[in-house]
Amino acid sequence: MPELRKDPIIGRWVIIATERAKRPDQFGSMPKGPEEGACPFCEGQETRTPPEIYALRTHNTPANTPGWQLRVVPSISPFLRIEGELDRQGKGLYDLMSGIGAHEIVIETNQHIGNMADLNDEQITKVITCYIDRMLDLEKDRRFKYVLVFKNYGWTAGGGRVKHARSQIIATPVNPKRVKEELAGAQRYYEQHERCIFCDMVKQEMDQKDRVILDIDGFLAVVPFAARFPFEICIVPKKHSSDFTALDMGARRDLAKMMRLVLSKLKKGLNDPPYNYILHTAPFRRAKSGYWKTIDEDYHWHIEIMPRLTRVAGFEWGTGFYICPLPPENAAKFLREVEVGA
Amino acid sequence: MAELRRDPIVGRWVIIDTDHPSGPQDFEKEESVFSGGTCPFCYGSESITPNEIECIRDPNTAPNTPGWHVRVIPNKFPALQIEGDLERRGNGIYDMTNGVGAHEVLVESPYHTKDIPELLNSEVENVISMYCRRAIDLARDTRFKYIMFFRNYGQSAGASLEHPHTQLIALPMVPKSVLEELQGAQEYFDYRERCIFCDIIRQELQKKETVILENKHFLSFCPFVSRFPFEIWIIPKKHNAYFFQLTKEEIPSLAAILKDTLAKLKKTLSHPSYNYVIHTSPIDGGDGDHYHWHIEIMPRLTRVAGFEWGTGFYIVPTPPELAAVYLKEA
Repeated sequence: MPELRKDPIIGRWVIIATERAKRPDQFGSMPKGPEEGACPFCEGQETRTPPEIYALRTHNTPANTPGWQLRVVPSISPFLRIEGELDRQGKGLYDLMSGIGAHEIVIETNQHIGNMADLNDEQITKVITCYIDRMLDLEKDRRFKYVLVFKNYGWTAGGGRVKHARSQIIATPVNPKRVKEELAGAQRYYEQHERCIFCDMVKQEMDQKDRVILDIDGFLAVVPFAARFPFEICIVPKKHSSDFTALDMGARRDLAKMMRLVLSKLKKGLNDPPYNYILHTAPFRRAKSGYWKTIDEDYHWHIEIMPRLTRVAGFEWGTGFYICPLPPENAAKFLREVEVGA
Repeated sequence: MAELRRDPIVGRWVIIDTDHPSGPQDFEKEESVFSGGTCPFCYGSESITPNEIECIRDPNTAPNTPGWHVRVIPNKFPALQIEGDLERRGNGIYDMTNGVGAHEVLVESPYHTKDIPELLNSEVENVISMYCRRAIDLARDTRFKYIMFFRNYGQSAGASLEHPHTQLIALPMVPKSVLEELQGAQEYFDYRERCIFCDIIRQELQKKETVILENKHFLSFCPFVSRFPFEIWIIPKKHNAYFFQLTKEEIPSLAAILKDTLAKLKKTLSHPSYNYVIHTSPIDGGDGDHYHWHIEIMPRLTRVAGFEWGTGFYIVPTPPELAAVYLKEA
């Protein structure tokens, strides 16, 4: 019998389809993208990207020249523009504003390596530090309300032609709907229980253990109870924290190791699948911005990883209801058993 | 400068690329490659599918034999199962129920390669009448709260079989995206005592900018706040919350606009994969003053990536006004 499960935070139902259940090895490969062209992200190609916004350089080499370990550049085809005013307006019953925002590309390594799984812990720690530095910098721009850090790896996941590891940072002038839903769901739970729903989830998962993939240092990697996609993964700090930018250096290293292990398990176990990951953290909490007072207690940052193994079809778009063809417990067991180098 | 637009119903923001708008030729298409073998939806294959639930067929032909025009069968690999009672239960902080529901396939015609635009008007009318018949039948089952019709055409849209078909799923709860529309529409109605969809229709008809086709009872247009390039809605001009209350007079009108709109879509974008879904009021949705049923057509031209998943924010490379121009001229 299939099972319907409800996401406790935003109330989304998913169908865990046992009748059409697939074994972990039954997911076919998604279409391969076009051929890879020359890489503008490798060391020595600095003039082929817009001028850098941020870089980690060892010997004080000048900007936009070789000698870096990590670079951030503006997107060549930004969805949102950094210059201008918001200009909110109405048009009959519609509301609109100009597309102000920031869209930056984090080039995670100077080597031509495609998957973050193949970077070392030290390099991933640098990537995490770069996320934090960029978020803190963008927070100073009062036109922005939220910063989303995300990654599209592989063609089906929306990645580009060139296989050079990078992530994206987008600052938006409004709080996005999905983030608002999570914040509202977490706040509702806190009002009722005076506890953080994510902390309760961490406790329950550590007790039940059947959806846990890895439990190391301060972090837990689980397949969510109401996963939308097969092998969906959530990485969450065990200790309560609403704000990703508050991570100290030790925790950044622990998170880097967790990211590498989880992504390596996906790569090895599922034959290098395309995936997305997104970082959900509390929005900017400026004085008088109208956010509730409990946000630091009720919200809990986390990373969602979504391998792209199935196609999202009409039913999912039409209903917001997902059909997940693999029970989360089976996915977690499979990934637990994939052995990767510590 | 791109534009941010807010959906007046559910409050979702989208980014419309008005700077470098993409035309129909700018999208990379993935060709559908269906595996060969016997098609279970063609004449002669009736015995390899589950037994038919309902059928429009020639007189004097037996069930589960050729001679049918529209055939409804249970999905062979159902996402939900029809037997059993709904048992809700909890597991610590989590809620769950067993997967009770109906999952049916409506084979729209015996023709393996004919999509809706290639069918005769009368054949499309049969399909729509069958949608209504199934909705009315399943609405009697008190375990169900919502009936969702959806259609995946082409491989990128999630179709696993080439032979065109629609699916329906009857659910024991109202799905989230419909719930959001219902809530948004209710809030609008509470304040203004008008249906927001009726107001949208009025505004679109006044400006005509995004209207693709209009006939006696229906309108097809590109919504001001589209999520996808070349997204199209088909909506009845007269207020009604319930799809299955379509009258005998309205069915031919809907068949004609659906067929002609899809024909324009296929011509403009040279046969894209697409989905459509019917959004209607829940089964016990009351008088339905605030809700208005409609069909949402979504061509699958872009890859939904991390940003969309993470934010629920959509990036639309073709402004709806421009998409409407292309579609009107097709």
